[in-house]
Amino acid sequence: MGVSEVEESSLQLDEKLMRFMDQLELLEEKRATLNSLIEQGWFSMSKARYSMGNKQVSVLQYASEMKPLVCVNARMQDNGEVQFCTEQQTEKSSKESAKDLRPAEDIGPQEEGVRRRNKPKKTEKDPSEDASSKKAPEVSPVRKSEHNPQQDPLKWFGILVPQSLKQAQSSFKQGMALQVQANLCFTWVCLENTLVKLVWGCFWI
Amino acid sequence: MAGRGKLIAVIGDEDTCTGFLLGGIGELNKNRKPNFLVVEKDTNGETGPDSVLKMSNLKIKLSSNSLTEYIKYTYKDWARIRLKNVLDQIPFRNHLL
Repeated sequence: MGVSEVEESSLQLDEKLMRFMDQLELLEEKRATLNSLIEQGWFSMSKARYSMGNKQVSVLQYASEMKPLVCVNARMQDNGEVQFCTEQQTEKSSKESAKDLRPAEDIGPQEEGVRRRNKPKKTEKDPSEDASSKKAPEVSPVRKSEHNPQQDPLKWFGILVPQSLKQAQSSFKQGMALQVQANLCFTWVCLENTLVKLVWGCFWI
Repeated sequence: MAGRGKLIAVIGDEDTCTGFLLGGIGELNKNRKPNFLVVEKDTNGETGPDSVLKMSNLKIKLSSNSLTEYIKYTYKDWARIRLKNVLDQIPFRNHLL
């Protein structure tokens, strides 16, 4: 190996080492931010537990039905790296939700035999249909008052929750978004691989 | 489930799990298996994480540093899970181990 090749390899190694140190510093900064966000969340949750009671913010309050509000999507970038991103889960489609839409008057047992006084002209129908079709056309349909598994998890702990619990939720949401978007684990694995290559590169020189 | 993104799981103490569930990651699947594990003093390290680590629809799993080390040496399928999933680390509040 000529001197110029050794110098060129050394320069490349130096460049990679500098890039490695920059990425490591960036990773440590993001990890410190994540840790502080989570600690902030713990502190807010402790304040909420102090005001609401010990058992009011615990595993006992978890809902019996849960649907995730956040999911993770992985995308392959042009440089070959995998990029994670969070995505908000939307509720069920309008078609499905339309099945759940019933007019407010129709909730509860149907009363057969009750007819509207001012019925519009219509063709012959069964009496049972008349009972079920007594809704007014201008009534805005409402959803069934059932437990929605995709509701805000804050509602597990009551209708009126203290501000500290909302702050805890906000802190954990930010921490989660940061962790996913920064690809902390993937970045760490890539840095480890880069370090191994650098060490081997130095060895061969 | 088709066309839906992957989920985030969490293995940690009660406060950590509660916090991340407040963030909206919690799910109970059709078999009523959760995608989170609240680690307590009597949680079995060999089989406890089974319910979370073996779920196929999970992309990222969060676990504290000390818990990850504990699971690494006690969980029987650690090598396979480690290769298959992304296991990221978060701070651990209560040192139960």
